[in-house]
Amino acid sequence: MSEKKQQVSRRQFLNYTLTGVGGFMAASMLAPMVRFAIDPVLKASTSGEMQPVVDVSEITTDPQRFEWTVKQVDAWYTSDVTHSAWVYKNEKDEIIPLSPICKHLGCTVNWAGNESYPDQFFCPCHDGRYFKDGKNVPDTPPNAPLDLYEFEVKDGTLYLGKPVPREGV
Amino acid sequence: MKWQASDLSTYFQSKEYIDTLCIPLIPVSISNESDSIRLANYKRTLDILSNELERHFTGRIMLSPTYSYQAKSDINMEKKRLNEWIKEMSNDSFSHVFFITFDVLWKKEEKELDGTLIWIPANRIDDYQSDETKRWINQQTEQISELIRSFW
Ligand code: FES
Repeated sequence: MSEKKQQVSRRQFLNYTLTGVGGFMAASMLAPMVRFAIDPVLKASTSGEMQPVVDVSEITTDPQRFEWTVKQVDAWYTSDVTHSAWVYKNEKDEIIPLSPICKHLGCTVNWAGNESYPDQFFCPCHDGRYFKDGKNVPDTPPNAPLDLYEFEVKDGTLYLGKPVPREGV
Repeated sequence: MKWQASDLSTYFQSKEYIDTLCIPLIPVSISNESDSIRLANYKRTLDILSNELERHFTGRIMLSPTYSYQAKSDINMEKKRLNEWIKEMSNDSFSHVFFITFDVLWKKEEKELDGTLIWIPANRIDDYQSDETKRWINQQTEQISELIRSFW
């Protein structure tokens, strides 16, 4: 890390001498961001890696919620963060792992959470709704589909990675 | 939402949707070993519960930083201070205020609080990683969520 810091300051030094005050200001604004982006300590977080979540045999055509806990390390402390996913198999037998986090303001959505909409995801906070494939129901507060997790199947176990946002409708 | 910089900017953009304030109440003491260990244990449990609650209802609940007070202090005085706190914090923008606590003392003062008291019967947890604890936390969170939703 100290080596990287030195590189940054060497570059800063060049910037100062070559571009004068403007460059100095830009460099002092950029340098901290760059350091954060490459700081290996921050990479120690395991939350970005694929996590084993459930045995594939347990996945049905009805969405079920699975939870897993990840040790998250940031520069100041370590904490256990719980993640969850709604997972099911569609007609083509493909696994669909959806993030339960509402795209409106982030509440946790529930499958069939509202009796009037037994085949949709429902957000209890402001009545947001999503179809089974995660697409947001028009005229409800969310304006994008639920994120889809990156996933892979290894030795019969489903591993989930990062939730990936999709285009709104 | 939590009272942290990243959430607060969302809060100020979407204020009209976040109408519920939750405040964990925690008595603090370090006078004797067994009491302080017990209270510290409750504090940890309450932290977990309120974070879980916030995770369920991020878009509608503002989770306040914990309101702490001395375990021995006069409850009447705390009640007054807490009500003043609420007045300042809620500032008309929250139509629902909930207190979450293990401290049974608040139960008797419930009616005079400017909000709804959610009192959770004390449960000393020894192993936070056990499946039993996780199940208990889930059940409690479910029940509290149900209760809060019934007010919306
Ligand atoms: S947070 Fe889901 S509808 Fe508002």
